[in-house]
Amino acid sequence: MTSNLVIETRGLTKRYGDAIVAVDDLELRVRRGEVYGFLGPNGAGKTTTLRMLLGLVRPTSGTAAVLGAPPGSPEGLARIGALVEAPAFYPYLSGRDNLRVLAGYAGVPDGRVEAVLDEVRLSDRAADRSSTYSLGMKQRLGVAAALLKDPELLILDEPTNGLDPGGMAEMRAFIRSLGEGGRTVVLSSHLMGEIEQVSDRVGVIRAGSLVAEGTVEELRGQAGLRVRAEPQAEAARLLVALPDVAAVTSVDGVLDVTVDTARAPAINRALVQAGIAVSELYAQKASLEDVFLELTASGDDHR
Amino acid sequence: MTRNVTAELLVLRKRAATWILLGIWTLLGIFFSYIIPYALDPEDATGGVEDFFPESLAGNLIVGFPFFGGVFALMLGVFALGSEFGWGTLKTLFTQRPGRLRVLAAKLIALGIVLVPFVLSLFAAGAVASFVIAQIEDAPANWPSAWLLVRALGAGWLILAAWATLGVLLGVVSRGTSLAIGVGILYALVIEGLLGAITDSVSVLEPITNVFLRANGYSIAAALGASFDSIESNGPGSYNGPFVGSVQALAVLVALIGAFVALTGFLLRRRDLA
Repeated sequence: MTSNLVIETRGLTKRYGDAIVAVDDLELRVRRGEVYGFLGPNGAGKTTTLRMLLGLVRPTSGTAAVLGAPPGSPEGLARIGALVEAPAFYPYLSGRDNLRVLAGYAGVPDGRVEAVLDEVRLSDRAADRSSTYSLGMKQRLGVAAALLKDPELLILDEPTNGLDPGGMAEMRAFIRSLGEGGRTVVLSSHLMGEIEQVSDRVGVIRAGSLVAEGTVEELRGQAGLRVRAEPQAEAARLLVALPDVAAVTSVDGVLDVTVDTARAPAINRALVQAGIAVSELYAQKASLEDVFLELTASGDDHR
Repeated sequence: MTRNVTAELLVLRKRAATWILLGIWTLLGIFFSYIIPYALDPEDATGGVEDFFPESLAGNLIVGFPFFGGVFALMLGVFALGSEFGWGTLKTLFTQRPGRLRVLAAKLIALGIVLVPFVLSLFAAGAVASFVIAQIEDAPANWPSAWLLVRALGAGWLILAAWATLGVLLGVVSRGTSLAIGVGILYALVIEGLLGAITDSVSVLEPITNVFLRANGYSIAAALGASFDSIESNGPGSYNGPFVGSVQALAVLVALIGAFVALTGFLLRRRDLA
């Protein structure tokens, strides 16, 4: 275990019977201090993976170390805050009492309860039963519970589920701020925008396997230009002959040019000087959504 | 561990079901031990109207523990863990600092503490009822010895604890409350009740019925002064024997508690929490 790695799994696998492989030989590395986006379609194995990392589910094979400890061990759990799937609380207890129960189990002083309630802006409703909370308030209470131990590692599974757009934006900003304090955050989601906005690095999981990993920029791949010009065939011939242009492909009447986007003025000039009419020329990068759809398109998931 | 138990006591203390069960148990206990039999025909009791006087407090009340009290304790035990599966709160607790077995230990200790008011409330209400009856009958209020009372309170708690741990086990096995309570009551009525009833004629069953909660609970009750008549005519909780020695009965109850707790711990530790 390298000390820079907060989470490291080797061949982590979870099978349910012979037919269902929820997580398949997963190799995951999460570095200290980063916000790691764990992206995958519904049923890809994200929650099962997180449950294994928390010791809630036993792997069928493979190993995992979380903060240098086996999953579910008291020494590891003492430094981890988690919100797995829907936040679960005693419905008849107030938000404050729910946190007091968890503080009692986590061994943190009761004073932390008020601090985290304040942090997630729930202090004014803390005395109300948690069953009367809106979905957004329950999510915030879940995050408060995860923050109780002032953890080194936060594991948040779909924390914006059920939130309205305002609530989602607020939660993302909150997660980003949590990551800025040097804390490691693992954020699981099936929402590309969410992952794109808050993550330092992203792991894409499909059918239980990690199919891509890197920064958002790395996953998006090399930037390029899109050019609409007439006559198109002549424009393509000219472009492919230019220095620094790696490739030119025609898609729906538009030329995709693989080249450094800083070369746009020179390319425009070359086309115009050759008598080619340029009606559009703009920089284009693949969106994370494109990458995600491409990576997960063939997934036939049952998780 | 102290803070774990304190947290768990908060969960049990603020739960309405705890107080509802306590209230019903106390009311039913007094109604069926004192108010109804005294109102109907006090001379019908084995020892006549004296059975309702304070001196018979221990024997008169303890007879309600092995079955009726047991069912209440079983429900309390089921709620203590079975509900956590439905709410998903066990998952939240298991991602806190202590391991699964420490969480279970905290829950069991808290449950054991909550059983204390169940025993005390019935005895307190019984003391009031017996005192009032003695006043009505113009009889002296002679109280049982403190030692007998302490033994009766302890025995009552142990009997309830045995049923409560069975409830905890059923709650964990079924990962919920409804099935666990159904199976628990079915066990109390059908398995223990029917098998116990035919043990007299089918002696081969005796080794089995001797480890039943009902057999050992009533054996302790009998040792504390409960009349055999009241045990044999205890409605759906009636028991005709055979009775075992009180030391053996205590040992069996402690062993059953140990077995239920061990099995619960094994399941809770081994199972995935999906």
